[in-house]
Amino acid sequence: MTLLSVKNLSIGYKTKKGLLKAVDNISFDLEKGLPLGFVGESGCGKTTIGMALMGLLPENAVILEGSIQFQGEDLVRLTEKQWRKVRGAKIAMIFQAAMNALNPVHRVDEQIKEAIITHQPDMSDADLSDRLNALFDLVDIPVARMKDYPHEYSGGMKQRVIIAMALACDPDLIIADEPTTALDVIVQDQILKEIRKVQQKIRTGLIFISHDIAVVASVCDRICVMYAGQIVETGTKKEVFTSPRHPYTLSLLGSYLSLDNLDDIVIPDMQEPPDLLSDIGSCRFADNCRVCSETCKKEEPGWVQISATHKAFCCEPQIIRGSHGKN
Amino acid sequence: MLNKYSLQRFYKGWQIFIENPLGKTGVIILVVFMFMAIASFFVPLIGPMYDPMTGIDPDIRVSTGPSLTHWLGTDNVGRDLFAQLLEGAKVAFIVGLSAAFISIVIGTLVGMVAGYTGGLLDAFLMRTADIIMVLPSLVILLILASLFGQFNIWIIVFIIAIMRWPAVSRVIRSQTLSLKHRPFIEASRVAGASHLRIIFRHIMPNVLPLAFLYMTFRVTAAILVEAALSFLGFGDPSQVSWGMMLQWVWKSGHMFQAPYWLIPPGMCISLLTLAFYLLGRAMDEVLDPRLRKEGQA
Amino acid sequence: MTKPGYILVKLVEVAVIFFIILTALFFLFRLSPGDPMSKMVDPMLTPEDMAHLIEQMGLDRPLWEQYLIYVKNFLTGSFGFSFHYGEPVSHIIVDKLKWTILLFTTSTVLAAFAGIFLGKIAAWHKGSHLDNVMSISALVCYTLFIPWFALLLLWILGFKLGLFPLGGVLSPQLWVGNASLLVRILDVLHHLMLPLMTLFIINLGSYLLLMRSSMLSVLREDYIITARAKGLSEKVIRNKHAAQNAALPVITSVGLSLAFSINGGALTEQIFTWPGIGKELIFAVSNNDYPLAQACFLLIALVVLVANLIVDLLYAWLDPRITY
Repeated sequence: MTLLSVKNLSIGYKTKKGLLKAVDNISFDLEKGLPLGFVGESGCGKTTIGMALMGLLPENAVILEGSIQFQGEDLVRLTEKQWRKVRGAKIAMIFQAAMNALNPVHRVDEQIKEAIITHQPDMSDADLSDRLNALFDLVDIPVARMKDYPHEYSGGMKQRVIIAMALACDPDLIIADEPTTALDVIVQDQILKEIRKVQQKIRTGLIFISHDIAVVASVCDRICVMYAGQIVETGTKKEVFTSPRHPYTLSLLGSYLSLDNLDDIVIPDMQEPPDLLSDIGSCRFADNCRVCSETCKKEEPGWVQISATHKAFCCEPQIIRGSHGKN
Repeated sequence: MLNKYSLQRFYKGWQIFIENPLGKTGVIILVVFMFMAIASFFVPLIGPMYDPMTGIDPDIRVSTGPSLTHWLGTDNVGRDLFAQLLEGAKVAFIVGLSAAFISIVIGTLVGMVAGYTGGLLDAFLMRTADIIMVLPSLVILLILASLFGQFNIWIIVFIIAIMRWPAVSRVIRSQTLSLKHRPFIEASRVAGASHLRIIFRHIMPNVLPLAFLYMTFRVTAAILVEAALSFLGFGDPSQVSWGMMLQWVWKSGHMFQAPYWLIPPGMCISLLTLAFYLLGRAMDEVLDPRLRKEGQA
Repeated sequence: MTKPGYILVKLVEVAVIFFIILTALFFLFRLSPGDPMSKMVDPMLTPEDMAHLIEQMGLDRPLWEQYLIYVKNFLTGSFGFSFHYGEPVSHIIVDKLKWTILLFTTSTVLAAFAGIFLGKIAAWHKGSHLDNVMSISALVCYTLFIPWFALLLLWILGFKLGLFPLGGVLSPQLWVGNASLLVRILDVLHHLMLPLMTLFIINLGSYLLLMRSSMLSVLREDYIITARAKGLSEKVIRNKHAAQNAALPVITSVGLSLAFSINGGALTEQIFTWPGIGKELIFAVSNNDYPLAQACFLLIALVVLVANLIVDLLYAWLDPRITY
């Protein structure tokens, strides 16, 4: 059953120099209780999508077109008041702990409690404390440390609390935006396991955003690769990893694949993505693409369906297959 | 030091500054006062009657309201209030700028030395700064005045400067601390540059913009303290200043009868304070990009 | 460090700083031109009284002994005799202290609360007309020259409109008559209004501006987005997540601006003839009443230090990040 269906979503930022189209005509679906990963470099629009799903776009952002169907409602049309019933209750977000996401002057349990009370004001004190205990248990924080202040926690513990906070009201969809980026490798690994474990246990939909394709792959079975405001390839983890069809995916994997696979992958020096202030009207990756043809520079590419789950946004997807098809 | 790059940066900073309505207002007010200060040199030339201190209109024995010969009126002995007001602008600039300059020189030196050397000297300097910072400067000036008699204007300026360096030194110190371990400082240390050279050649150029920002705030403080001191009757008796004018209107019992005398000097002090404050705020925005207008991703 | 330990350290700090000020003042008196004897002993006294005082203050002893006696005299609360009143200085200043504390604390506390509240509103509606009006008025209040503003209030509200008494703390007829306590209190409050208004408005301006900018920077913090993501109402976000954090730096600045407030307090007392320590200091300085001036100065220094201490402790109590 489809939980979330995004159709032709475009989002722009009003800037001094004009409208910057950060997200351009994006569509995707998410099945109930499944994880979906978004990967791409910074500025590719992945965070903007996350914020749009929370209704927390900055003031200068405008949704230009498209719809976000979630449980029979179009989120694009919600008023601020309606949004407040969705946020935290049905859709929750896991922030980066390193980014000061916890309020330093309130106790940790209080910050989680207020999320629950806001959406379930009738909950009894006993139920509330049961719920808190269960949440801290779920993310493996000793209940005894519940009443601490955020600065008394380590980075990993803060991140766990933030996960617990997102889970507080049993949301149907969780958005995790770079939740492990600033953590050191070992903690990052633990947190990823935690997220995966929790997601499987409570069967919630998950949108996982990261610049690191390996991190995304460790949590999600389906991956969307984004470049310059567009989704350029989407497929199952296996499809994207073993037979990438978009040259950009290939270069992303290039920075990830082990050394012995590198023989047949040449990673060119990457240039900056195109300026999103102007209409582009051609393949956005053309300048960086080593299989770029004349058509690529003239026309917008179209979607090429490779399998039921796998498709790429490229004019020349066959060429990639040829070059990378050996394994 | 003044290469093309820093000129460009200066120009850009100036543009941000002048686009800022606060900064613009501040500059306009300031320019008006500068004209007043300059005019104060010429007014006494019109005639001895217009000397702010000694010029007495022979036809007038009591305070009179505005007229053609005396635009703002006269005080109770027949001196021209407008001439006094212009003279006050000059004194305010002299007091404010020189006290602020001395205090930022002291504050910058102390801050750089404390931050660069660290250790006991740092602790000593900063504790001294803390103590001075909690002391009310007007009260200190009063007790000193009681012990040493009336001060002339330069001693007042100097004492104000001595009372006002600590805040500057704190800021400069923390800036120095953050500079101390930057590669270019480390590099010149490895290359064998002396401590003095590092402090003056490498650290100072980087902290000076901040020091000047603080100077604008110090100017205000100095003008206010001098005005308050004069108002209470402990200013330099040979100097006309806005504070002094207020003291005269108050002590001569004219404050309920002569609004033309009461209002201008206080308004000038307040406006000049406002101008320097606005200037400082606008400079703050030039130096600190986080404060600039948001929503321009 | 534990909480009592922290308080103890702060107390010791205040004591040390005060001791340094005390010592500095002693040497200033000896350094100043003229005979130090004439500064501590009223030249109008009879020779016997003079000799007695010189003996009591040890003015005929070597410098270091004088210093020890000075410290001892201070600790026992004997500041010598006022030239003007001919009374022990300690009697005079204790009476003045209560008026200063009344004016100073009410104006500071009221202005801090009002400034935090209004600054919060202004920041929340950043860029609106409301914000512009509030910020500009606050800026004007903040830059007003205190004595001038006080004189204007006195002239307009006191003299022209006759709403408030022109000075003092109690109407003359109540000094002698047997009016009830309530009448006296109301009369004091009536006298308090103008000086209070002066200090309140000026402090309000600075606290409002501080709170506004502090609040604006807190509103850019990530935990505000977290709060929004939880679905909290805007009011909860504003009051619980933004304002509480934003008020902390304002409280620090209340401490830092105490010296400024004391200056303003002295000027205000002088203009409204409010019988506090500040006015007494100005009086003593004008009349070369050195013992009185010295005591007033030390008392003001003590008030500043103690007020600073209170602010420090308040901050430590409010901000959980402070480690003792």
